Amino acid sequence: MKRAFLGEFEEVVLLTVAVLDESAYGVTVTQEIEQKTGRAVGFSTVHTTLQRLEEKGYLSSKMSGATAERGGRRKRFFTVTAAGRKALMEVKSIREQLWDALPPQTLQLMGG
Amino acid sequence: MEPIKRPDHPNRNVGPPPRWATTLLGWLGDPNTVEEVQGDLLELYAYWVKTVGMRKARWRYNLSVLKLLRPRAKRKPSAEYPSPFLLRPDMIRNYLKIALRNLAKSKGYSFINIAGLAAGLACTVVIFLVIRHETSYDRNHTNGSRIYRVETENTKEKHTYPGTYTGMANALQTDVPEAELVVPLFKVRGSTFAVPSTDKRFKESFLFADNRLFHLLNYQWLAGNARTALSQPNTVVLSRSYAEKYFGTTDVLNKTLQLDNKQDLMVAGVLEDQPSTSSFPFDMLVSFSTLKNTSPDFDLNNWNGWGDNFQVFVLLKKDIDPAQLNKRFRSIILKYMDKEALSTKNFLLTPLSQLHYSSNLSGRTANLSLLKTLSFVSVLVLLIACFNFINLSTAQAFKRAKEVGIRKAVGSNRWSLVYQFLTEAGLITFLAVLLAILLAQITLSTVAGMLAVPLATSDLFSWQTGLFAFILAGLTTLLAGVYPAFRLSGMAPIWALKNNTLTQRKQWFSLRQGLVVVQFTVSLILISSALLINQQLTLFRNADLGFNKAAIITVGLPENKPEKLQALRHQLVGSSQIKDVSFSFNSASAESNWMQSMQYRKGTKAIDIRTQTKMGDSRYLDTYGIPLLAGEKLRDTDTSSASLKVIVNEIFLNRSGISRPAEAIGQKVYFGDGQEFATIVGVTKNFNVNSLHQKIDPTLIMVVPKNFYQAGIKLQSEKPTAETVQAALAHIEKVWTATFPNQVFEYSFLDETLAQAYKSETRTAQLIDASTFLAVLIACLGLFGLATFTAEQRTKEIGVRKVLGASVASIITLLSRDFLKLILIAIVLASPIAWYAMNQWLQNFEFKIEIRWWVFALTGLLMAGIALLTVSFQSIKAALMNPVKSLRSE
Repeated sequence: MKRAFLGEFEEVVLLTVAVLDESAYGVTVTQEIEQKTGRAVGFSTVHTTLQRLEEKGYLSSKMSGATAERGGRRKRFFTVTAAGRKALMEVKSIREQLWDALPPQTLQLMGG
Repeated sequence: MEPIKRPDHPNRNVGPPPRWATTLLGWLGDPNTVEEVQGDLLELYAYWVKTVGMRKARWRYNLSVLKLLRPRAKRKPSAEYPSPFLLRPDMIRNYLKIALRNLAKSKGYSFINIAGLAAGLACTVVIFLVIRHETSYDRNHTNGSRIYRVETENTKEKHTYPGTYTGMANALQTDVPEAELVVPLFKVRGSTFAVPSTDKRFKESFLFADNRLFHLLNYQWLAGNARTALSQPNTVVLSRSYAEKYFGTTDVLNKTLQLDNKQDLMVAGVLEDQPSTSSFPFDMLVSFSTLKNTSPDFDLNNWNGWGDNFQVFVLLKKDIDPAQLNKRFRSIILKYMDKEALSTKNFLLTPLSQLHYSSNLSGRTANLSLLKTLSFVSVLVLLIACFNFINLSTAQAFKRAKEVGIRKAVGSNRWSLVYQFLTEAGLITFLAVLLAILLAQITLSTVAGMLAVPLATSDLFSWQTGLFAFILAGLTTLLAGVYPAFRLSGMAPIWALKNNTLTQRKQWFSLRQGLVVVQFTVSLILISSALLINQQLTLFRNADLGFNKAAIITVGLPENKPEKLQALRHQLVGSSQIKDVSFSFNSASAESNWMQSMQYRKGTKAIDIRTQTKMGDSRYLDTYGIPLLAGEKLRDTDTSSASLKVIVNEIFLNRSGISRPAEAIGQKVYFGDGQEFATIVGVTKNFNVNSLHQKIDPTLIMVVPKNFYQAGIKLQSEKPTAETVQAALAHIEKVWTATFPNQVFEYSFLDETLAQAYKSETRTAQLIDASTFLAVLIACLGLFGLATFTAEQRTKEIGVRKVLGASVASIITLLSRDFLKLILIAIVLASPIAWYAMNQWLQNFEFKIEIRWWVFALTGLLMAGIALLTVSFQSIKAALMNPVKSLRSE
């Protein structure tokens, strides 16, 4: 059975693909996550996650853009599907609900 | 969000990433994603080199590759439906289930397949047991690979004798340093052993041996000492079973046995019984030094003649090649014999492992060519059964064409169909193996008796048999299953579903026809061989031997003092049932013979003739019914060496160049040192002195009372009834035991003794008969199956033909014609092969049948008859069927 929810890393990858818009493929996603989060992510992890997200139907992909530096190999560009957008929105709204439910004094304590 | 800045030309000045990792990824990466992954990694590698340095970049690159190898990397499922692994337990269970259903659906075919295969397999398993037994002789001796027997070869006759000169034992000891141990053995037959003052008395064969024997071979001692048991004269070592036979216990040390009513022997040891696979199964070993007491004139240093019963075994030192000893043997011949012997004599070393296949002291030998024939025939029978399977399953294919088509249409691939059909073959083979083992168990004792092989049911249930049966089943499954499996699974689904079988039919037909022809060719060869072998056996039984073997009883003579014999004869002839009594060395035809060189001098020319000497009294010719051509019979008084008289046969005359029998009378033949001679007083017609395997030797008959060991007793009636035989035997026994008290009375009928010579042929005949029966049975089962199938196939056609007015006879002809054609081809193929094989076999005999053409015609007719009978059952049924029924059936 496929999981109906997003894992934390899946969420990050899915968001990054959304951020990169048209130019999201393995390399850019890896570099983007590294730069934005500052954590060293392995390419293989990113690759498998992208595969998994596509399998879940949150991403779709197409092959194009072969260049010389890639030895003439094509890239697999990913775009977020409607289901993916919906999943992201769901996650976001759950987060927001939770933030909203936070008592103001706790928020202050956290330096918000 | 701004796009990531990427280096414009990442690979510039960077160099390629580790090549092995790239290659590995190419091989083991997920083929669905390998393209983009390779590209991505190349780009990233360049980026890493820039950002973290070459070393770390390589490290990261390798790590990523390793993580992305299958099965670690996640597979992207293909868009098509995934095909399951074809040998998963679920699939196997499914194959089995379908196979069982199919088996149950066509019970008739399943029965034919299983029964045929089971018969073939049972045949093979039993033959396997026989061959395993025959090839496992003398394997359990520690030094077995270094033990040899010294054999004597007559290079002129190209014949090797298992025995050798008695002097050889000493010669080897002194002149051959390569020999570690020299062991002479001397076998004596027909001696009487008795426990003194009891009536335990038996006729036995025993062995003269000494302690060296116990160091040569492995023995287990129950009592006694291997070093000393046979050192002293007059000692004997018994086997466990013989200790029990004579004394009822194995605690027999120092007890006494009496040999031939004269010599007391002390039991000095008891040995565990030898296994049945030993060429040395001797139960009584008497010390060699006893020989001085029992036969004082036996020369243990003799270089003049030899017998098969004196054999010398030698244990060579380690790493000695027996061929090295050739020189030694030549110098032995020079030293102990003379230069002339060098050109005619030779000595050979035969390894222990070969002993079972040539004449040996135990008397049990294996006939290698018979074993080969047997295994060949059993493989043929198995093949016929496999052909049945192939034929019936390809024939069945038409019925299953739809099944195959649908299976393929819904996505089954070829391999799963192949597995399916192989499972079916495997299931049938498995059931057949079970049935075969049952059959083998039932028939084993009969076959063992037929072949005189000591086999027990326990031999059947050993792991070797299990393994053999397993391998055999595997091979049979492949042999019988592979062709149908690939053939059926290879059908194009569209063709299979359209069920347009007629176009494809021709293609199937030829192979099936071919297999049927092979089956019947083999059957025909076997049938004609069986016929011819039985003809040859009839020839053996009914051949005119030149003497009369009927109604003659032979008994042994423990003593041959003339007075005793005279009294014995007198008492025997007193009975009204007994016509004649003759005392002699052996019968007119016998297995063991006395060969001697005779010289006939024609003018100045001396002709040497190797002659068989028959020693018999005045009644010899009458008792055995040997007709005299010229001259007169011998008299009992013709014994003085000064005027020795002999009777010769026609062949002897031929050799000596005397043309007419009458001319021979009064001629002299010289023998021994060339001074002794005998005068020919009579000439007999030729009679078979040997078995019919061999030519008739030049023969002479003389009176030598000291060599009379046997009495031939001719009964009055040529065809005595059981009662007269009983009465005569009772009389003979009474007289005999009165003449020779304390001896064991044994008798035999001459015709039965002579039949013993053809034991091997009788066995071959029985085996060929049995396998012929099996082969024909299995082939007919297959034919029956095919006929059933054809009749089923053509139901509609027959219906239409009948409606249009075809007669029953024409329909039967229609259905049988095809099969008869095949049998005709088989007859043409089989006859020359059978002729050739039987011609080869008949070369073994000097007196043989002629192979006549009608044997093959008869065989063919017989086979055609059997096949017609098999087919006609189905064709008549089909022909008689109501066309309304057959035309309505869909």
